[in-house]
Amino acid sequence: MTAATYFEDVVLDQVKFTPAVTVTAAHVEMFQGLTREMAASPDAVPEVLPLCLVVGLGWRVKDPPMAVQAFVALDWKIVKELRVGDTMHSRSRIVSKRPLRDNGLIVDERTILDQHGEIVQQGKFTFLVAKRSKEAPA
Amino acid sequence: MVLDPRRYFDQIELGEEYESPGRTVTEADIVMFAGLSGDYNVLHTDAEFMKKTIFGERIAHGLLCLAIQSGLFTRATAPYATLGFGGLRWKFKAPVKIGDTIRLRAKVVDKKDLDTPDRGQITLDRTILNQRDEVVQQGQTDLIVQKRP
Repeated sequence: MTAATYFEDVVLDQVKFTPAVTVTAAHVEMFQGLTREMAASPDAVPEVLPLCLVVGLGWRVKDPPMAVQAFVALDWKIVKELRVGDTMHSRSRIVSKRPLRDNGLIVDERTILDQHGEIVQQGKFTFLVAKRSKEAPA
Repeated sequence: MVLDPRRYFDQIELGEEYESPGRTVTEADIVMFAGLSGDYNVLHTDAEFMKKTIFGERIAHGLLCLAIQSGLFTRATAPYATLGFGGLRWKFKAPVKIGDTIRLRAKVVDKKDLDTPDRGQITLDRTILNQRDEVVQQGQTDLIVQKRP
């Protein structure tokens, strides 16, 4: 069984930082090819790309990943443009836990920061997370 | 002289509605997105594990479909003179499976001036539908759009 952080194990207000990733022209080209979501100018990064990368970075923290059964909702703000060559990382904080019968809802406040520590994007992810005794996804 | 095909803030009317062409979400899309984003959650990458779940098979990343709809928007209407993306409020309502065909329906629901006089904010209601007309994702997005020079 893959190690996972279940609903019961999630700690409110715990802050975690991810490793960083430098956003390259290759990321932008791949993203544009996949989605046809174009950058506004040659060195710009389409705003949805850092949002996609931040979810992957969340898997690279030391703790086992949350046993996410579904991505439920997203409330997100773009604060600052990211450019090709910038290096982003993220900070997350669990701001809410609501148990349901077989699983629970977790609200994770995520902030994307650049190499200067400035906020690039910020918002809240709501995930449906398995309880320890109910591992099979909903 | 080449005419600018982009539509400025002033030219976009409240209540305008658009519908995009469809786009079939393939296994290749999901594999590429996992590689690009680093999101290898079993929901998207482990076919054997997913056989035992109520989904029965791998499902597309929610953010993959969100990103695809952003691209579909550019195929649904003449391009806006977009300066940036302000934010979104979004719900993931149903899974998208390999082979599903999604399309975007969008409507302009709000326009407002911003502090910077050369631009305004356009808010769109957006709905992603599958081939059975089921709503798979839904929400609002805010676009920062240039005013006519």
